Amino acid sequence: MALQGIWSGTISFSLVAIPVQLVKAIEPGRVSFHLLHSKDYSRLSRRMFCPEEKTMVSPDEIIRGYEIVPGKFILMTDEELESVSPERSRTIEIVEFIDMKEVDPIYYDHPYYLVPSKGGEKAYQLLVEVMRRTNKAGLAKFVLAEREYLVAVTSREGALALTTLHYSDEILLDNFHSLKNGTIEAEEDSRMKKSIEQMTEDFNPGKYADGRRKKLMDLLAAKAKERTPVEAPAVEEEGGDGPADLVATLEESMRKVKENR
Amino acid sequence: MSRTFVEMAGRRLPLSNLEKDLYPSYGFTKAQILEYYRGIARFILPHLKDRALTFKRYPEGVDKDFFYEKRCPVHRPAWVHTAEIPQGDGEPMKVCLINDLETLIWTANLASLELHVPLARVNSPGTPDSMVFDLDPGDGAGILECARVALILRDLLSQMGLASYVKTSGKKGLHVYVPLNRKETTFEDTKTFSRAVAGIMQKHYPDLVTSKMAKQFRKAMVFINWSQNDASKTMICVYSLRALKKPFISFPLEWRELEGLAELGDPDRLQVMHLEALRRVEKAGNIFQEVLVKEQKLPHV
Repeated sequence: MALQGIWSGTISFSLVAIPVQLVKAIEPGRVSFHLLHSKDYSRLSRRMFCPEEKTMVSPDEIIRGYEIVPGKFILMTDEELESVSPERSRTIEIVEFIDMKEVDPIYYDHPYYLVPSKGGEKAYQLLVEVMRRTNKAGLAKFVLAEREYLVAVTSREGALALTTLHYSDEILLDNFHSLKNGTIEAEEDSRMKKSIEQMTEDFNPGKYADGRRKKLMDLLAAKAKERTPVEAPAVEEEGGDGPADLVATLEESMRKVKENR
Repeated sequence: MSRTFVEMAGRRLPLSNLEKDLYPSYGFTKAQILEYYRGIARFILPHLKDRALTFKRYPEGVDKDFFYEKRCPVHRPAWVHTAEIPQGDGEPMKVCLINDLETLIWTANLASLELHVPLARVNSPGTPDSMVFDLDPGDGAGILECARVALILRDLLSQMGLASYVKTSGKKGLHVYVPLNRKETTFEDTKTFSRAVAGIMQKHYPDLVTSKMAKQFRKAMVFINWSQNDASKTMICVYSLRALKKPFISFPLEWRELEGLAELGDPDRLQVMHLEALRRVEKAGNIFQEVLVKEQKLPHV
């Protein structure tokens, strides 16, 4: 099966930069269906409906609101969202090497492979081999589809695997045990291996934060201070009828209540 | 930040900022809040037990920002009981259960002045153990109008063979509870029933009662909020503090007392503050106990 790259750029650390493509490592096995109109088999489209006006809402009338308390919203424009989104990047910059054994699997989010692009094959093979021997994972930050990810790059079956990791504030576990020290056996005195050693750190997930999330929450907090939130109209939910015998009994009971008062 | 530790049931509990005044216009410190919850603990705990708590936290006091927290904080002590609540989309959520005094004090120490809980317990999330009518006065109406509606509601329910119990919301409203405590009851039942009751009340008392949620229909009227009878909704727990200017309590009243107070016509007499609350439970016990145990079946649903 031909691998379709979903991102291309370079993976780099220290003085090495290797052109690569990011490809999916798994294809979810879910069978999906389209929704069709039973009368004419047209594919149905999703429209937004305003329960207050009971009409469809055109896309130019749709805005975003962050719910700060039930029914109250801080409005957020596309420009504001844009302002906190990370710049697109063309590199996966490894900032340190860690022992993959130290990473609690709970942090694993989504697996990908990195495949070499033209001209990068040789350096790629070298990196795969050295990382296999040192048994290290490279930790990097990387922007994909407007989100900044923390990723671990590992050597797997002769290729580089990239796993997106959850940020530590997404993990709902306390008592995260402190991580034991990683040790390296000096086997090969290559420049690349030295670089890995120099950059090896304990895996410390708290060091990395989802920068966009933090900026977004700061922006929301600032906006909440300067402007009162808008309020959604309550959706009409009226009291009323029920099963006929219940209503009849209620009417009869109410008549008695009124008589006695 | 000032910090002190207390030892409770062999558990070490850090308390912070005890001197901080969280009700500045009245004068009620964190220490006093913890003292209130310690004093009310054996009365409030049965009503909190095994219910998914929603924190409503006021870290800078009642005049400043607050936030809701449904997820049990990650920094909780290991001994805090939790439960997993399934969520519509994906991962279940871990919530706190206030099942003991230590957890109650820990919660209050987080400046969660108000304790909100659902009508169902975590191990039977689809089974409301009571049906509630949340009486909420619109502009121009107040707790006295709520009292009138509550008394009519009591009589109507009683005609249907159902006992009911009333508490103040601690704000301007009243909450009428109908204990059910049967595992066959569903939120569908309580919603259908309460909705029909609200409809009939509105029909017969159109100048006093509305069952419409929209604010413009609520001028000088009492809104019977039947839609609280839903698995996703929470109610302020009986005996919980409210975050108003003064430390008012959501407190249970005897029906006779409510009748008397309604006749007296003094809305202030319908509010119960912390010291009175403690005095009254010491004397009369938990008069809301029946809500937790009395078994009743809703007819015609």
